[in-house]
Amino acid sequence: MRLGPFKIPWVGEDSHKPDPYWDFFINTPPADMANTVTEMIRSAPEGNVFPTKAELHTPEITSSHVKELASYLGTDLIGIARLTALPTAGESKGEGHDTYPFAVICAVPADYDPRKAPGIGGQVPVQKGLFITFVLSAWIRELGFRATAVLDPNAEKLAVAAGLGTLNAEGRLVTPKFGTRVHVANVIRTDLPLAPDG
Amino acid sequence: MALTVEKTTKPLNGNNGATHNPAQTDLPPPPYLGRSVRIVGPHVNVDMNQSPHPKNARGELGKPLFNWYRNTVSKDPLTRVSAPNHFADRRQFLTTVINRDSKGKVNPSRVAVDDPAAMTRHIKAVAHYMGADVVGIAKAHPTFLYAGSRYVQDGTAQDAYETQSPEELVRKFPFVIQATTAWDYNKLQAHRHHIGDSAYHVSQMKGVLVLKALEGYIKELGYTALRGVVTPQAAGVAGGIGELGRNGLVINKNYGARIHMPDPILTDLPLVPDRPVDIGVEDFCKICRKCANTCPTNSIPFGDKVVFNGIEKYKINWLTCYKLRPYVHDHWGSCLTCAAVCPFTKPNVWWHSLAVWTLRTCPIPVRPALVHALKWIDDRFWGVMRNSRVRWMGYDSGIKPGDQACTVTGCTASHEGKGHSVVGDVGYYAPLKENTNRFVKRA
Repeated sequence: MRLGPFKIPWVGEDSHKPDPYWDFFINTPPADMANTVTEMIRSAPEGNVFPTKAELHTPEITSSHVKELASYLGTDLIGIARLTALPTAGESKGEGHDTYPFAVICAVPADYDPRKAPGIGGQVPVQKGLFITFVLSAWIRELGFRATAVLDPNAEKLAVAAGLGTLNAEGRLVTPKFGTRVHVANVIRTDLPLAPDG
Repeated sequence: MALTVEKTTKPLNGNNGATHNPAQTDLPPPPYLGRSVRIVGPHVNVDMNQSPHPKNARGELGKPLFNWYRNTVSKDPLTRVSAPNHFADRRQFLTTVINRDSKGKVNPSRVAVDDPAAMTRHIKAVAHYMGADVVGIAKAHPTFLYAGSRYVQDGTAQDAYETQSPEELVRKFPFVIQATTAWDYNKLQAHRHHIGDSAYHVSQMKGVLVLKALEGYIKELGYTALRGVVTPQAAGVAGGIGELGRNGLVINKNYGARIHMPDPILTDLPLVPDRPVDIGVEDFCKICRKCANTCPTNSIPFGDKVVFNGIEKYKINWLTCYKLRPYVHDHWGSCLTCAAVCPFTKPNVWWHSLAVWTLRTCPIPVRPALVHALKWIDDRFWGVMRNSRVRWMGYDSGIKPGDQACTVTGCTASHEGKGHSVVGDVGYYAPLKENTNRFVKRA
């Protein structure tokens, strides 16, 4: 938006419009997936749980530490859901919420929907989400508690359970801050004693 | 205006790198690197196998340093996931995952670049979009390149061009992209503490991620991207990211010394290189000496620049800097004092931009007077030594090493009856300076 000599850069203008290569960056899928960082992190094995459990304070304090670390790592929205309160389809028995009582859900803003923009640029929110969940789950394992960060088809439902927003008619997460332009990262399931939100 | 103590430079023994004499006519002339550093004599390309970490990994720096590097696990959970070498399980450290030798192929269908200036703007926008704070593009020069094999810290790199000489590489791949992240200002105030460590290490992991993603993207554009080839500081100075300070760090106009210099990308993507900048670091470092005064190991020189390996610059004593680490390992990992006390290291806000702009636009002969004034302001308002207290995630920099209020890492709760108390607004700063003579006796 340009007002005479003054320019308000964040109003009414797509700052990448004059860039002839931006569409390639956002929308062209990589020819070789090995060139993407997302693929590297997804294929990386999980580390061990540290043999000694860290002494923790109350679940509320531990939750605040988890949130402080996650927001420092770059997440804009974070919530904790209790898994036993939300049975999800197909995972009602055995592994899942029986052994992992809590889920930590992080969400990052996404200018382009990562499900529709397969380019490296369109996947940047995924990349940021993987960075956050990798380091956060590794940190919980180093505290001596189990944590696993996996792609979850029910991530948006869990995000609602964690109080990040509501689902719209299409089943997409709507958040107060970013609307639907948000990407829910991998869900971290953990047995770290936390205080659930929502 | 550079004050110079000229010394004849002897080539390093045992270095298999090529010698570059700028007087030889078949080589490109030495590039202009700004006022803070100059290539003045024959330069032997640096073999990274002779640099501190590889030397230490081979045990050449003695047992305490070797054991610190190889055989210690940090007591701090956050350090175990974010710092190199002190993890309990290597798989928890993201950098080792990302910096594995890239298996990605260069895209056979190349994106045509008609306008290198547009591509330059695009690459910078891409790097910022991925999370980089500063991006610079340098014209490559043979003196910037490593001798010998590829070197990526906490990772590996291999490519088909490893047998080629620096001159051949530069002819084929004329540009260097350096994208980097700044570490958090507020957490840096608790340097010599786990809080400062995490400010440093987490942003370093992020920078590694950004550069790897950028490398992959350049390959997807159909161009080659080589890693582990270029000296990061040379690329940073030549690419206009900053100037080289007395503390041996590249100092940026927005972030000061609190930026990383990760392994840059050497590429044949057509770009327009940036020019070296003059933000007054040269004039400031000549007068200020705050980093030299506060360095716990006296590793930073008080004197003038010297010519080392054909390069005129301030030469820090890396060995004494390195030797501090095993002594402090129980309490923290990275010192960062020289970066934290640097007057250029400030929050990236308008008054900082104004101060740097004033210095930048001031005529060079008048700058010493301005520097004295700015340094007085800095000492007066920001302290000769920074020691503000930071609390984050249950850590508290106001508690002295060894004085823990409870067994929870960094806990600050009062815990009646345990016989411990929070000591006060001291940080970790002052006590360390008393022991410095074990490293270097100050003349």
